[in-house]
Formats: sequence, structure tokens, C-alpha cells
Amino acid sequence: MTTKPLIDQLCRQLGKNNVLWLPEDLLVLGYDSTPGLHATPDVVVYPTDSEQVKAVVKIACDHNIPITPRGSGTGLSGGSIPINGGIVICTNKMNKILEIDEENLTATCQAGVVTLDLFNAVAEKGLFYPPDPGSQKISTLAGNVMEDAGGLRGLKYGVTRDYVMALKCVLPDGSLLATGGKSVKDVAGYAFKDLLIGSEGTLGIITEITVKLIPPPQDKRTFLAYFDDIRSAGKAVSQIIAAKIIPSTMEIMDKATINCVEDYVKIGLPRQMAALLLIEVDGHPAVVAEEAEGVERILMQVGAADVLMAKNPEHAAELTAARRTALSALARVSPTTLLEDATVPRSMLADTFALIELLTEKYQLKVGTFGHAGDGNLHPTVLCDERDEDEMQRAHAFYDELYEQVLAWGGTVSGEHGIGIAKKDYLARQIGPAGVAVMKRIKQAFDPAGLLNPGKIFADGQE
Amino acid sequence: MADPKSLGNFTAQDAPTYESLLQCMRCGFCLPTCPTFALTGRERSSPRGRVALARAVAEAKLPFTEAIKEEAFFCLDCRACSTACPSGVNPGEVMEICRSQVHQQQSLPKWQESFRNFILQKMLPDPGRLESSMLPARIYQKLGIQWLVRNSRILKLGPRWFEKAEGMLPELHTPLRQRIPELNLAKGEKRGRVGFFLGCVMTLMYAEVSRQTVRVLSHQGFDVITPKLQKCCGAPHLTEGDRETTRQLAAHNLDLFLELDVDAIVTDCAGCSAALKEYEEILHERREIDKLAKFRSLVKDVSEFLVEWGLRTEQLQPVNRSVTYHDPCHLCHAQGISKQPRELLKAIPGVEFREMNESSWCCGSAATFSLKFTAESQNILDRKLNNVQNTGADILITANPGCHLQLAWGLREAGMPQPVMHLMELLGQATPE
Repeated sequence: MTTKPLIDQLCRQLGKNNVLWLPEDLLVLGYDSTPGLHATPDVVVYPTDSEQVKAVVKIACDHNIPITPRGSGTGLSGGSIPINGGIVICTNKMNKILEIDEENLTATCQAGVVTLDLFNAVAEKGLFYPPDPGSQKISTLAGNVMEDAGGLRGLKYGVTRDYVMALKCVLPDGSLLATGGKSVKDVAGYAFKDLLIGSEGTLGIITEITVKLIPPPQDKRTFLAYFDDIRSAGKAVSQIIAAKIIPSTMEIMDKATINCVEDYVKIGLPRQMAALLLIEVDGHPAVVAEEAEGVERILMQVGAADVLMAKNPEHAAELTAARRTALSALARVSPTTLLEDATVPRSMLADTFALIELLTEKYQLKVGTFGHAGDGNLHPTVLCDERDEDEMQRAHAFYDELYEQVLAWGGTVSGEHGIGIAKKDYLARQIGPAGVAVMKRIKQAFDPAGLLNPGKIFADGQE
Repeated sequence: MADPKSLGNFTAQDAPTYESLLQCMRCGFCLPTCPTFALTGRERSSPRGRVALARAVAEAKLPFTEAIKEEAFFCLDCRACSTACPSGVNPGEVMEICRSQVHQQQSLPKWQESFRNFILQKMLPDPGRLESSMLPARIYQKLGIQWLVRNSRILKLGPRWFEKAEGMLPELHTPLRQRIPELNLAKGEKRGRVGFFLGCVMTLMYAEVSRQTVRVLSHQGFDVITPKLQKCCGAPHLTEGDRETTRQLAAHNLDLFLELDVDAIVTDCAGCSAALKEYEEILHERREIDKLAKFRSLVKDVSEFLVEWGLRTEQLQPVNRSVTYHDPCHLCHAQGISKQPRELLKAIPGVEFREMNESSWCCGSAATFSLKFTAESQNILDRKLNNVQNTGADILITANPGCHLQLAWGLREAGMPQPVMHLMELLGQATPE
């Protein structure tokens, strides 16, 4: 089918206002936040409800046209890039919070609700939705579910997966699948819900999400600790956990990152330090007081150079904001920012930092590393210039060698960004041919024609 | 043929640098701060989308098309994205430069081109001409024709922008430039000497406000020098994509004010101070670096200046009103000045300050945007008015004539009771004669 009749058909189903096909529109809907990746769709649609999504999928199915779902395009592995062209389905106009159920402690939303909007809406009712990916001000819930987004609160509160109770999605044949519900327990048949979470838009297109809410912590305490060497920082992380304290946040930033953040937000971070840890404990005031004391004691014991406790909520927010801008502060340094999310068992944290340092030296690169220390989830970020081919090659060699060791330590090639286009080879190394084969059979069962978000997670024909 | 020095499909003259485009990593942090993206939900009308379009032009993947022209002018240039952008991209500036590309790459119909050149190159650079052009408008008000016209619905027959433009006219006084002495002496203990930069819109439409600014400055202990030879700051030309005229005006003003030997160059127009602070970049090929740096270090918005020197509050009289404050984009986003105006407001005895939601969200004025895109501008304005209403404050304070015109018009149309006042007007009320 050529594009013109396709556009006409889509316009009839969705209304002209919800279909875009001018080259300038297509050009800006073929990227996400992953550097260097871009593809152009043939047409982009903005359905407003499940029925419209169904209609679009039907049309695509009838004419064998690939479909790629897209939220706000903040992904970091290229999951929403339409590499085979076709139709991009944007969920942004499906942005209604349908219900906040205070008896069952759930919220039900359309796919395109912005993460922070949900957080604020439930907070108004005295409830808490913990997942807080770095892009929460604009990222969509369906995008979070599809990539199983994490965030700063992962260690204590878990990630997006831990909050999804029910999903409605349109399958590639145009049928509607509802899985899960408001019941706390549900073991009826295969757990489709869990299969769909983190499936990167390859199995179905989510139209509605029900998430679990919890009561917010009543109190919290925020610490910033500085270290002369990164090994003591790693030790602090392991010992805090070993002392049976689970902080809600335990974030780490290395020297390069500290300096970039300081350049940008100017909150007086000491530039000479090797690392900083941002630690937050929260919960019942009595518990918080006890845990805060424990954290402070351990930080002193392992030899932190300096320990700061936030004076008030504003101060605490400022310290957290600094960590939140880490990635972007690094991005100021050079035109191209390569960001990975290597994740290791917590006990290997210090070794991973040492390895990163070694490889940075070996490949002569500029690297800033920050991440969720409590989760063993690091973002070694190479600051480079995509116009410099040699530098780009060294950067890829750097990651290759890093991931080899990460896998040897029992880690994973992606903690929270997903595989998308960027990490297909790494995934194959991690799960092996048998793993890829099973994944492909699952994909086949949902999407025999291979129309839904093709070319993601595993390469076509890869065995 | 393509100029070898040009960047992709941009012409060589006044094109964005490739680095300024490459710097965007498409994180999307700008999206929730962009009023036009909020309005349309269309990626190409977002800062990230606009920079991506410009990059495609630079990489010759896209010609400089009509759609890019539309986006260049649809951008409010409110700079909220610059505040949000962690990697230091200035999408507003990129769009401003694209506007100049529009005029190089696409020709306007003859009459529009002549009209634009007449306004930008003949009227605005010449204060005398500008002032006489306002004379009919003043007579129009004085004779009561304005009242008749406004009440006869005759304006409904003309284009929408004309009705709005007429409706926005505040009560006009004789332009301040003609009346103000070149030197106003400091009162009380003298603290310093400032050069006063008189914005075109301020002197023509808000002469009374700037008169108060000068009075406040002198009461605060500063000699105020207002050179009569000063010209437009060049901001309207940047906005309309005529960067060459901006350079000429900038060079004139820079030389004029640097000769004054003052402690600061102060203005009460956020649009002007933002433009004056950009002279360093605009004139980098025409004036020596140290001169540019000197000028840049002297330019201050009046609230920035007063907070830096410390406001003398001993003699201030109480103003017993509740006020809320709208951040002009060119103050808070372009210059990062948002604490200072609040500090001044809170320093006035009797004033109860009430923060509004989204105070730094554009009001939809944005130079000529409010006349070019009346419906969109109204939409942005309504959001602002709603936030003003929720404060229940007696007075809406702002610090830029563009916002002032738009907000005053909006409040009146919406039947809301608050007057709009410039921060300096309120400070003027608190300042004894």
C-alpha cells in the first residue's frame, strides 16, 4: 500500500487532526534520547482511545505495515525508533487519569499519562507512586512499563514492574488483551502482564495501565557523603545494606560527574573528591531516626571525608536535584553523550568503578560515571564527539570490554534502559542462543507477522 | 550554487553554528516547559523538535522549508527551554537566527517587504520619527475617539490583530525621552552614577512607569543620566530576523553609554536588558573584546541593580496591598533574574506577596506573537489569567512592557479587577516625593 491511501484511511478512522505526514513532522518523530539513532516513519498517528489504537493496528495488519509505539521519546536504547518506517503510534493524546481508587489503592490511567502528573495526582490524595525515572517530568507511563523504567527509589521501592497491577493492550492482530486486575493475588494462567512489562513494544501496544499505590513515607532524612577514594564509597554501600538498613535512595557520582554537576547547578560540591554518595532513608519517624544514625555511623567508620545531612526539605530537594541532573550536566561537556546502564551485583560495585577507571585510561576517553549504587546500576557515560570516528570506535571498544567483565561477574547489560536497537548484541551474549531462541518464539506467538516494533531486542534472523 | 562556507542548507550569513545544534541530546527536558508544545502537542513545535529541524537543515537532509519558517516565528522565544536545558542548548536563539534565514531565503510580497523594512530600518532606529508616529494615537485618545470606537464595535469589522492592537493601547503620555532631563541628581547620600537606558515601548507607552524608575533610582542615591541620543536596543530586529540593523543599533548604543563613565547601565525593560546583555555576542566582530566585556558587566535590569546595591528602605511608605508577580521571560529565562524582583516586593512595607502557580510561564505576548497568532496567544494568556485569579491578589506586578500590554488587555477583557503595575511603579508609590 502506498502512503497516500494509507493516510486517507487513517484520517477517516482517527480524524485529520490526529494524523501527521509532513516531512518535518516525520523527521522529529523518528528519534528518542539515544545518540546517533534516527529513522523516518511514513506516517504518525495520535489515537485518543483503545478503539482507535485497534483501528490503526487493524489497518497495519491488513496491509502488512510495521508499527512502532512511541511515548515522549525519552528512551535510551532506541526502543521507539521506527527502523523499518511504517506507522508510529504516539500515545500522548491518551493522557487521562481514569481513576484513583482509594479503597484498593490503585490508579488507572491511559497509556500516555506523564509519570510526574500521576505522581502529583495521587500525592494530592495522600498516596505515593514511587517509580521516578530521570525523565519523569515528560516520560509516559506506557513508556515506563514497556522499558520497565527504574529511577532513584529502586533499591527500597522497586521499579515500574513492581507497581503494575493490570494492563490493557492491543495485540498485533488487532485483538484486545486485558491482563491482571486490582486483586492483590492473581495466579490465573500465564502471567501475561509480567511478560508485557519490559517487552519494549514488541508484543502489544499498551492502552491502559492500573498501578499499585502505597502510603507515602512520613519522614525522610537525606545525606551527602564525600569520599577521597571510590573504594570506600563502595564499602559504605555494602556495609549499610549489611547493617540491614535499606535506604530509599543510594546514589553515587564520580569525580568527573561531580565537577560537571557543580559547573551547572553550583551548589558547592567539593570538586577534589573522588566520589559522593547521596543517601536517603525514609519511613516512620522513629525508624528514620534510628536508620539515619546507623547510616551516619557507617559513613564515619568507612572513612568518608565529609558527611552532610540536609538541613530542611528544600535543602534535601536541592541535593537530590543535583543527582537528577547528572546525565544532563555531563552532556554539556561534549556534543555526544553515550550512556550505558551496566548493572552488577552490589558487592562488585567498587571493582566495577576500578575497571571503568582502567578502561577510561586504556581507551583514552572522557568518562563520567554516576548511578544507583544501591542497585549496582551504573551509568558509565562517555563524553565524545560523533564526528570523531576514531573516538567513537574507542568508545565502543570501551563498552565491549566493560560488558564482558560485567557479564562475567553475573551482572546484566541493562539495568533499566532496555535493549532496543543499541544493545542487541550484548543481550545475545548475556542470555545465549537458547535464550534468544525462546524470546523469538514468544515474539512469534504474539506477533507472527513481525509487524510490531520490528528490529528491537534481538536482530531479525539472529539465532 | 551553494556557498562553500555555508552550513548545509543555511546561507552563510547569520546561520546557527553546527555545534549549537549538535549539543542537543534530545533528552526532552524542554518539552514540559514549552508553551507552544503544550498548545499543539506537536513535536516540531517543541524546542527539541525545532533544534532537530535546524540540524536537519544544517546537515542538508532538509531544505529550509515553509514549515521551518513557520516554527521559527511560532516559537515565542520565551527561553523557558534554555532554563530547563541541562546541556546548554538555546533553542530560542536558534529560532531567532532562523528568522533571519527566512528573510534571506524567502522573499516576502513586495509591499510586506517594504513595510517591514520601513518599520525596522527607518522607524525603530529613529526615536524622533517613532515619537511623532505616536502623536495620532495620543490625539485619538485625547479627543475621546478611542472611547467611541471601543464602544461602537466598529473594530470587529477589521482583522483580529488590529482590534487587539487597538485594545492593548494603554493611556498614552508625552514620550519620556522628550521630557526627561539628561541628568537627575541623587537624593540623600549619593551612592553612585547610572546610565538609564530608555526602552522604546517604555518611553512611548509607559512613560509614567519609567519616570517612576528614574525617581526611585535617584531617591536610592544615584545620579541618573539619560542620554538623549540613545536608540532602540535592537531586540525587535533580532526578533524579526534583521540582525544587521541590530548590529548597527548595538554599536551606537554601546559607544554612547561607554563614554558616560557610570557604575551601571540600568533599564526597566526586561526585553532591552536581555538584548543589551547580548551585545557581547552580537558585536563580537565589530568591537574589541574588553569594550564588550566592560559593557556586558555594566548592564543591569533595575531590580537586579537595586538588589545588588541593597534597597534603602528607611524612608519607604507602606503600600497596603496584596500583590502577585509574573516573571517576564526575558528577565527570568533570558537573564536568570527571578529572586530579585520578589526580594524588592517583599521589602516594600505593607505589601503582602502571593506567589502564583507557573509564574515563569510565558503570558503569550512575545513581541509580535500576540498579534500574529491571536488565538494561540489568547490560549496561553488564559492559562496565566487563571493562575493570577487563583492568588486573589489585589495587583498583578510585572517588569516588562510587552507582558504589561498583554496582561492589562487580558485582565480587562476577562473582567478581572486587578490592575497591572510595573514593579517600579509600585516601588514609586512607596517612595516619597
